[in-house]
Amino acid sequence: MTHKLLTLTAVISLFLSGCGQTAPNLNGSNNNISDANAISGDTVSIDESNYGNESEGNYNSSTDGFRSVYFDFGDYAISSNMENNMNNNIKVAMAASSKIKIEGNCDEFGTDEYNYALGLKRAKAVKDSLVSQGLTSGKTVMVSFGESSPVCTEPNDSCYDRNRRVDIRLVK
Amino acid sequence: MKHLLIIILSLHFFTLNLFGVDATLKIEKDVENRSRIALLDGSAVKNKRVFDILLSDLKISGHFIPDTTHHQGDITGKFIPPALKGQEYVLKYSMNQRSGSKLLIRLLKASDGTQVFKKSYAVPSKAKMPFLLHKAINDVNNVLKYPDISWINRYVVYAVYTTPGRSEIRLADYTMTYKKTIIKGGLNLFPKWADAKQRAIYYTSYKELIPTLYKLNIYNGSKQKIASSQGMMVCSDVSKNGSKILLTMAPEGQADIFEMNVASRSKKRVTNFKGIDVNGRYVDNESRIVFISNRLGYPNVFKKSINSAATSQVVYRGRNNNACDANGNKIVYSSRESNNAFGKNTFNLYLATSGSSSTRPLTATGTNQFPRFSMDGSIILYLKQNEYSTSIGYINLTSSQSLLFPFNDKKVQSIDW
Repeated sequence: MTHKLLTLTAVISLFLSGCGQTAPNLNGSNNNISDANAISGDTVSIDESNYGNESEGNYNSSTDGFRSVYFDFGDYAISSNMENNMNNNIKVAMAASSKIKIEGNCDEFGTDEYNYALGLKRAKAVKDSLVSQGLTSGKTVMVSFGESSPVCTEPNDSCYDRNRRVDIRLVK
Repeated sequence: MKHLLIIILSLHFFTLNLFGVDATLKIEKDVENRSRIALLDGSAVKNKRVFDILLSDLKISGHFIPDTTHHQGDITGKFIPPALKGQEYVLKYSMNQRSGSKLLIRLLKASDGTQVFKKSYAVPSKAKMPFLLHKAINDVNNVLKYPDISWINRYVVYAVYTTPGRSEIRLADYTMTYKKTIIKGGLNLFPKWADAKQRAIYYTSYKELIPTLYKLNIYNGSKQKIASSQGMMVCSDVSKNGSKILLTMAPEGQADIFEMNVASRSKKRVTNFKGIDVNGRYVDNESRIVFISNRLGYPNVFKKSINSAATSQVVYRGRNNNACDANGNKIVYSSRESNNAFGKNTFNLYLATSGSSSTRPLTATGTNQFPRFSMDGSIILYLKQNEYSTSIGYINLTSSQSLLFPFNDKKVQSIDW
């Protein structure tokens, strides 16, 4: 009885495996997708961990060795993506012989005084970060430029991203 | 006796509810009190621009129902064209701009041509022609003993961004027909009238290391340095007699509101909050201020006594009320009502009072920002933007009329009236 049961199980298993669909060979010519023209080229692969580092490389409106720090829409917290920039900035700031000017900037979507205050909060966040790492507070001066000094004036997202920033430079 | 007492108490309760509305929020539509008036152009050369400005002045005053047809005819004599006999008044006028601007007006009763008022005006500048027209309509309004509309004579001062990091401060008449740049070069922002007579402005200059407030006499160019602060420095409001100003400053890096005695230059901190406090405006006979703060996590309108710490929320609707103006106990604020991170958002204007939580919507569509009261609080100026154009708008709170004028300066930074 046991033998019969084992034999039946083996037969059913073989039958079922025989019904399995052949895996399509996407790289070969036996591709079973009939409308192959619908797939043209490969899909994109986005690595968002580069956000911010890209601006470090290509976008920088700070001077004297400092790196600009970029912010999210309506936000004034320094994101972790900006750590490299801030690590650079503290080194440059500690070595600087003159006063450091920290300039807060916003995109064009705010209004009136509130946007200038938002730019100032961004400058203050950068200053506090530098001071927490040992920079003397008296060595800095902050100015908010609100939406008055965009580095990019095209109406697209990457442009707006570049304008929500803090620039740092030496007072000369 | 008991029944009588109940009836009296009931009537008292009913009356309070019936008339317990905020007078500020009441919309008056007393059309019967407005005068029907026609304009008759007696100029040698028909001038549509002159007619349009006179018509706008009459409309926005809220005191006239003007005939919108541009009639022409003889300025002299008592003759009233038959087509205008249905009006109450006919304002005959003649503009001559061969040398400067010269205007003659005659106000006649439409029924029999009786002259009610006659006056001539002249100014050496052709560009200042709109001010002659505003003055004339202001005089006609006064002759007919309507409430004051002298706000139409006032300058509007505003700052516009020209290129990144550059701006200009300009003057205009309320219709934006006359425009003149008074400060150019560098970054100069937040112009604010320093006195009721509009002889001087405060503005913030960025030419020094930190933002610096100056007072400029717009007639002789004399300039005084008033104060400076790291972070930001804005003159947000000026007291009625010009002796005190409200400043937004950030001496320690946080934006707070201070009151300055202009003569002594002494400053008093009015707000002290680690977030954002900006846009201070005097209310309630200058004993309190309203201001914009993010103390609840989003920008909203708050009120505070100048001499005590108690702070109260003024507006209980909207999650992004980021600018306001005040006059007496009236408050107008702009509220962002869409949430596009990028691109145009819907901003609407609302009217509130410092002693009430009620609000009245003033606009319903588009991007409506930079609300500013007229000196008497009867009119609100604002900037309206849509996809294709920018206009300067005026809302007459008494008559609920509004007017829009084209405004070609694209990037307005700040405006005062």
